[in-house]
Amino acid sequence: MAACAKGLDKCMFSLRLLRNLRLQNERFISTSLGRLAPKEPSKFTPPPKPVVIDKTQTVASLRKFLSPEFIPPRQRTDPFKFAIERKDMIRRRKVLNIPEFYAGCILAVTMADPNASGKINRFVGICIQRGGKGLGATFVLRNIIDNQGVEICYELYSPRVQKIDVLKFEKRLDDNLMYLRDALTEYSTVDPDMKPVPYSSTDEVPVNKMKVRMRPKPWSKRWERPKFNIQGIRFDLSLTPEKMEHAQKWAQPWREYDMLKEYETSKLEEEILSEVQLEMSK
Amino acid sequence: MRLTLQMLISHGRVARKMGLGPQSRLDMLRNILTGLVRHERIETTAARADEVRFYAEKLVDYAKKGDTDEKAMKMASFWLTEKDLVPKLFKVLAPRFETQSNGYTRMARIPNRENLDRAKMAVVEYKGNPFPPLYPVKKENELTLLNQLLKGYREERAQELSTTSTI
Repeated sequence: MAACAKGLDKCMFSLRLLRNLRLQNERFISTSLGRLAPKEPSKFTPPPKPVVIDKTQTVASLRKFLSPEFIPPRQRTDPFKFAIERKDMIRRRKVLNIPEFYAGCILAVTMADPNASGKINRFVGICIQRGGKGLGATFVLRNIIDNQGVEICYELYSPRVQKIDVLKFEKRLDDNLMYLRDALTEYSTVDPDMKPVPYSSTDEVPVNKMKVRMRPKPWSKRWERPKFNIQGIRFDLSLTPEKMEHAQKWAQPWREYDMLKEYETSKLEEEILSEVQLEMSK
Repeated sequence: MRLTLQMLISHGRVARKMGLGPQSRLDMLRNILTGLVRHERIETTAARADEVRFYAEKLVDYAKKGDTDEKAMKMASFWLTEKDLVPKLFKVLAPRFETQSNGYTRMARIPNRENLDRAKMAVVEYKGNPFPPLYPVKKENELTLLNQLLKGYREERAQELSTTSTI
């Protein structure tokens, strides 16, 4: 009894030593930083208020984001199929961190490749489209390398994908940026050695309201037609007002009132979001 | 060729083709729906009745959101071509179906049209309308032997219970 008490004593003592050492080191680091920072001119600046990181609040104030591939499409399949698919998606997400991103973000993906040197390859590009539902969800990254436009379609849940980084976090005016193929090359070039831009996980997603200039027509698709509903192109530089009016002939104004074409997902989204958050926290 | 196969195969297509095209189909359904909201019971061809049922129920769902809701008002003013029916939709039909969540309409087939085309006809109505019911309610005849015997038995039981309770 005496022996184990002595042992306990010793480890308590060592613990206290370690704690004191750590505290001393922290104090040392903070004071040294203060000395290295440049001195302000002699104007009274009040001391900075202590930043209180309230850990209990961060979870609630985080942006509520449900990846679009979780929302099941409107089909006659059994919801059980989507439930087991969601389980598998969550299992993969626990291994690989898939960050929140939108069309318009700049991503860097490292993938395992048996033919590359070092067995992995890294590609940086703008995400122009997010497609597919469930485990087959994909996203297409576009970049221009050596004057050649390159688009790679990656599967989010593929086991070859090793890392997905968001280098720049922003949204654009549209969900589908396929028109970048017909835009000037400067809008699709991304520096492969770009440094990641830090972004907060609590604020609103920043929207880049850039309007893109296009190459002369013909384009791969008639982007001016209302069915694409593109906001992010400067049509006034490439099309006359008569052509814009002519394109409005394909507008179907009755479509927004056709209740058969609506698919309300808000309730589904809430349920699935709560389920996914619960499973990810386990 | 992939481009046209999707247009040739109609797996999972819920909307019937009617009239001259999608716009014509919606206009026709709009007219039928306006008539339905005005008269609450309408007879048309069976296909049109089936299509209008879906839109009638969705319109009531929108009306339940209230007339202050912008989207509901836009939908109502699009679907009801006679504008004096818009207040009727929000003030009469929406409160009538407040307790129900679906199934506001009823459809029943009627004998084929007398014309040369002998088209399949059907009647669509909103439930709770003031007309006599489509399917007449069968009334039990009280004068049959069995019903009279049962009536007598029920009266005797009632008498016994009242005497035993007083004792």
